Amino acid sequence: MDLLNVYHLQIITFMAVNSILALSFYLPLSAGQLSLGCAGFMSIGAYTAAILSLHYGMPVFTTIPAGAAAAALAGVLLGFPALRLTGVYLAIATLGFGEVVRVLFLNLKITNGALGMPEIPNLNDYFSALYRSWGLQGGLAGLDLPRLAALTTVVFCYFVLAACVAFVLRQENSRTGRAMAAVKADEVASGVMGIGATYIKMLAFVQGAFLAGLAGAISAHVTNFIAPGDFNYHRAVNILLFVVLGGSELVWGGLLGAAVLSVLPEFLRFMQDFRWIIFGALLAAMMVFRPQGLIDRQLLCRFSLRKKPGMDGMDARSSSGEVD
Amino acid sequence: MFWQQVVNGLTAGATYALVAAGYTLVFGVLEIINMAHAEIFMIGAFIGLLLVTGTCCPVWAAVAGAMIGAGLLGWALERLALRPLRKQGVSHLAPLISTIGVSIFLMSLAMKIFGPQSVRFPASVEPRFFNLFGTVNISLLQIVILGISLALVAALKVLLARTRLGKALRAVAENPEAAGLMGVNVNSVMAAAVVMASALGGAAGVLVGLQFNAVSPTMGIAYGLKGLAIIIVGGMGSVAGAVAGGLLLGAAEVLAIAYIGSSYRDAVAFIILIAVLLIKPSGIFGKLEGRKG
Repeated sequence: MDLLNVYHLQIITFMAVNSILALSFYLPLSAGQLSLGCAGFMSIGAYTAAILSLHYGMPVFTTIPAGAAAAALAGVLLGFPALRLTGVYLAIATLGFGEVVRVLFLNLKITNGALGMPEIPNLNDYFSALYRSWGLQGGLAGLDLPRLAALTTVVFCYFVLAACVAFVLRQENSRTGRAMAAVKADEVASGVMGIGATYIKMLAFVQGAFLAGLAGAISAHVTNFIAPGDFNYHRAVNILLFVVLGGSELVWGGLLGAAVLSVLPEFLRFMQDFRWIIFGALLAAMMVFRPQGLIDRQLLCRFSLRKKPGMDGMDARSSSGEVD
Repeated sequence: MFWQQVVNGLTAGATYALVAAGYTLVFGVLEIINMAHAEIFMIGAFIGLLLVTGTCCPVWAAVAGAMIGAGLLGWALERLALRPLRKQGVSHLAPLISTIGVSIFLMSLAMKIFGPQSVRFPASVEPRFFNLFGTVNISLLQIVILGISLALVAALKVLLARTRLGKALRAVAENPEAAGLMGVNVNSVMAAAVVMASALGGAAGVLVGLQFNAVSPTMGIAYGLKGLAIIIVGGMGSVAGAVAGGLLLGAAEVLAIAYIGSSYRDAVAFIILIAVLLIKPSGIFGKLEGRKG
């Protein structure tokens, strides 16, 4: 039972939030768009959820979708100018978008500036109150109430994550997903084949923004406190690292990367002072020895039971690394 | 008042230009964004600080020492983190990530050695002011910063245009394979580009340390982000663009502080960036083909 203490449960919750962020980076990338705006969209989601619940008293289960929707709307607005750019240009422009959003939140009245927004209604408290109203003050099945509530938060977050993963997987095997892969492989050729590349890129970009906003809104309700500094350049880089470390060819790569990078700093805690030094060196070494990330198609094929014909063709194309 | 602000802005802009010239040199020759450049800049500032406090060097010697130290660091970066990635079939994201790794490594190392707080730079240039046209004051320090920055960028420009190495650099930037076939040692030319860019970054670090009288392990981040914005505004791979973009940003930031408020300072670079991208995606001095990025 000691394993289920609130601290561990919180790390596991963050793992789910980070996994959703990894998906939000993966989606535009699967259509060939390297977007570093996830931190910006995440902050829009988080602040929307925080403002709606603190200033307008809206319940948690409406503020989370609202945060995601607000981020998606921002994605549409940014997408029109930004998606005319490709490759490094898009990456830096979206990184810049994140910085502009951060400075804006730093200066607005409603976001409480640099002080951040404290006392955002917490998912744990919400579930505690719910269980209390059901008469479960003493907890259930040997778990006391705080643990039970924290466990419910975990289940809730993983439920949302599972829904997101299911959506992304379903989409990959659909007409839209194939169109995204085609745009990634060669935008001009996909246009010749009758794919509206602009629409597909916009779709992937906005879906990414939606998921980042969702993750932001959930994280606001998990951490109680948000400040503009939570969504800075480091956050954007971190999200990029989830996907690149895990492997950017597959959904599972990003999820694995998010899990590893959420837990690794905790494991390196015993060498507190050196952990970021080691982390940086590990990252550079990783690119030298395994630049495609931990998981790639080849690895998956080796372990999968059914061999998929035609996978080899996909391999050759994606390993050439044409993102732009 | 306005012209005073412009002078202050141009001084800040000259250091931005120096940082951006480093980014643009590496991008032009190796086609990668060197995310560790900001940290090399910071290490350069610390080397300058140690030289000034430890040995009481004059400013020019501190700048030269920082350039040598940063150049060596750039050489190590190229050998350890960039050259191994230059093989077939490696995604072009890989160098981006590996330089991010190096930047995290260097920043946390500096945190460990120097502590997270910012250290004061001893005033090694006496605060003297010169009066221009009756209304504008320019300090000796500002003249030194402007002079060294512009001299270094001009030297880079001459090197690229006039020397054999410069010709090799331009050839590799144009087409590495063809340059290799013509007998250019592509690997050492690329190493030279990273070393030169890092040396410029190190010099900029010392000048910024002097300018704000403070050096800290996190000082690189803001300069790195702005440098990235500048090279896109100026046009990727163009040294002239880096200078124009740097000076433009310096002036715009100072004017924004004076007329809008200091808290929006860090957003100015990216607002200019987004505006420029909307009007001319290839940047001020960029060629259209640069869009393939």
